[in-house]
Amino acid sequence: MPFETNLLQILFNSLISGSLYVLVGLGLTMTYSLTKFPNFAHAEFITLGAYIVYAMTDILNLGLISGIIVSMLITGFVGVACFLMVFRPLANRKGTMVHLMISSIGVGIFLRYAIQQIWGGQELHFSKVHFAGYNLGPLRVTSLWIGIILTAVILVIILHLILTQTKLGKAMRATSNNPSLAQASGIDIDKIIMIVWFLGAALAGLGGFFKAADTRIVPVLGWGILLPAFAVIILGGIGSFYGMIAAAYILGLAENFSIIGLISLGISTDYRTAIGFVVIIITLIFAPTGLSGINFSKWFKRRRPHEGEVME
Amino acid sequence: MLVAVILLVAAFGAGCAEKQAPSETPSEKPTPSEQPPQPEVIKIGVLLDLSGDLGAIGQKMKLGAELAQKEFDSLGGIGGKKIELVVEDAATDPAKAVEAMKKLVEVEGVKVVVGPMTSSETLAVAKYVNDRNVVIISPSATAGKITELGDDYVFRTVGSDDLQAAALLDLMKSRGYSKIATFVIANDYGIGFEDYFKKYVPEMVALSIRYDPQKGDYRTELQQVKDAGVDAIIFVGYVDSGKVVFRQAADLGLDEIDWLSSEGIAENVMFEDAKTADFMAKVEMIGTKPSSTGFTYEKFAEKHRQAFGSDPDLFSDYTYDATMLAILAAGTAPSYDGPQIREALKKVSEWYNGATGYKLFDENGDPAFYTYNVWKVVKTDTGFKYEIIGHWAPATGLELIP
Repeated sequence: MPFETNLLQILFNSLISGSLYVLVGLGLTMTYSLTKFPNFAHAEFITLGAYIVYAMTDILNLGLISGIIVSMLITGFVGVACFLMVFRPLANRKGTMVHLMISSIGVGIFLRYAIQQIWGGQELHFSKVHFAGYNLGPLRVTSLWIGIILTAVILVIILHLILTQTKLGKAMRATSNNPSLAQASGIDIDKIIMIVWFLGAALAGLGGFFKAADTRIVPVLGWGILLPAFAVIILGGIGSFYGMIAAAYILGLAENFSIIGLISLGISTDYRTAIGFVVIIITLIFAPTGLSGINFSKWFKRRRPHEGEVME
Repeated sequence: MLVAVILLVAAFGAGCAEKQAPSETPSEKPTPSEQPPQPEVIKIGVLLDLSGDLGAIGQKMKLGAELAQKEFDSLGGIGGKKIELVVEDAATDPAKAVEAMKKLVEVEGVKVVVGPMTSSETLAVAKYVNDRNVVIISPSATAGKITELGDDYVFRTVGSDDLQAAALLDLMKSRGYSKIATFVIANDYGIGFEDYFKKYVPEMVALSIRYDPQKGDYRTELQQVKDAGVDAIIFVGYVDSGKVVFRQAADLGLDEIDWLSSEGIAENVMFEDAKTADFMAKVEMIGTKPSSTGFTYEKFAEKHRQAFGSDPDLFSDYTYDATMLAILAAGTAPSYDGPQIREALKKVSEWYNGATGYKLFDENGDPAFYTYNVWKVVKTDTGFKYEIIGHWAPATGLELIP
């Protein structure tokens, strides 16, 4: 490149991408660790969240905050409904992971076309919400980008506290580790699973709103983030909470820095999507358990107790 | 699983329904002489992007084709034959365009088609239509590569982008830029412009970026443009992805350099999003587009308003002309047959003067006479508009309205 790249801005952009993956990946990894199948319909929870915020702010003229809350509630309930109406009956009839996975693709297609029927296939933008931009030294930021990063950080802290400090978190970990044992010890695992599905879908909806506000609202919005989201949870170690968070930012960095490389090679920058695939393939070949399976204590000599093990 | 099965069944059912359609159509084949001759119908295929990235434009272009049909219908058809438009959606996807073209030819028996819209789609169907001797007239495929196809069944009513790129280059020179960045959609249309600038002014192109319209996130790409310290960015793309690019450019504060663009976004739907419109007006975006001015254009615009209650938009005039030429050629050819329609098309193009002017085809099926408008985005009391600030033609070069 004949000019100097603003590395700080690229790092900041990577933080935004990574934070979006965290928001989307949290729900995906949570539902995976409890119900043990990759839920492809998660993509449509993302899309649905964005469209409902649009309906609330642009059509019904509600404020942004109340729009987001309503959207998270509705998306959460849709997630629970999908679980109760499709996935639980299937699992009860001895459906395997493959059955559940394929049915989740079906549910996803159903939801996507339902969304397209309601709002149409053309792209939409939030017209009632505005995010101001500022120059912070060499850095350009908007209130939206800061919102995305802060929301991801705050949610991670809250979820960490829930998982480690509350009875609910303990019950979630127990159900994820060994459902039969958890049930035998008096945990209402049905209730726990429903709470997790609600939370997972609601967070996906929130992530969907942020992604849409940053780009546009289209019926394939969620589908575009699902592949990197899967790459993130595989790299992090499937079902691992902290591994996923680290992986989200690693992928964010890899994608944004790859754009510079792709441009200098004269290749379409869409090939950054390939980074997600490459990450999945390399992880599965060399470290199938992902980041959470790598024994870092061997390198650091000092074992940090319990971290990285919470959700496994 | 149940849902998947239901979906499969539904998809299969829909497929069956579509396949049944051809059994209803053989009536327009020459009927035995004992029956009274049915009014013969001339079928004109219309293959436009009615959905996808260009869906919004394609829907409006379809009106241009309908207007041409209406005009002949009000005269009782052409030579006593009614005109039937057979419309198919190419969904802004070359693969879908080929599929839809095959349906038009194999199932509907169409011999002349208005479309496809994009250069990638046109190049994708070119071999097939040449093999099957089916005439296509694209109203909007502008890539230079289409000229290279040579003397065949592929015609177009718009000029090659090599001309438009020359017009843009003159515009850039008139503003005295020394360093530019190109930011183009990664298909034949966008890359055609990138290649042109890299070929003729390699020293000016500091950075060239190809983007994917599906991705919808170009922040880091735009940051590279910002870091490159160029005088201007040349954006070549379509409306849907264009909106995202301009919105993100606004977020990044990329408004201190000049923005130039082509006809791909010179469409009023850009102004439906306030943030996009504000950005385009703020940077005083300028660009080129195939000419839509003059007496014949005004006449067409008036008819369009009467028929549909709206102003014609980007390429509706070129679609109208392509459809008129298709009808005239199919109506005057001795029989409804590809090679004869092709010869008739070359003949009628010699005198046809349509909404976009004279349409004489050169030996490659490109229009021989060509003019571009230079536009600029301005904010008016009622909204935003593309104001025509000049013209460009190969013979005269750039002429800006003082």
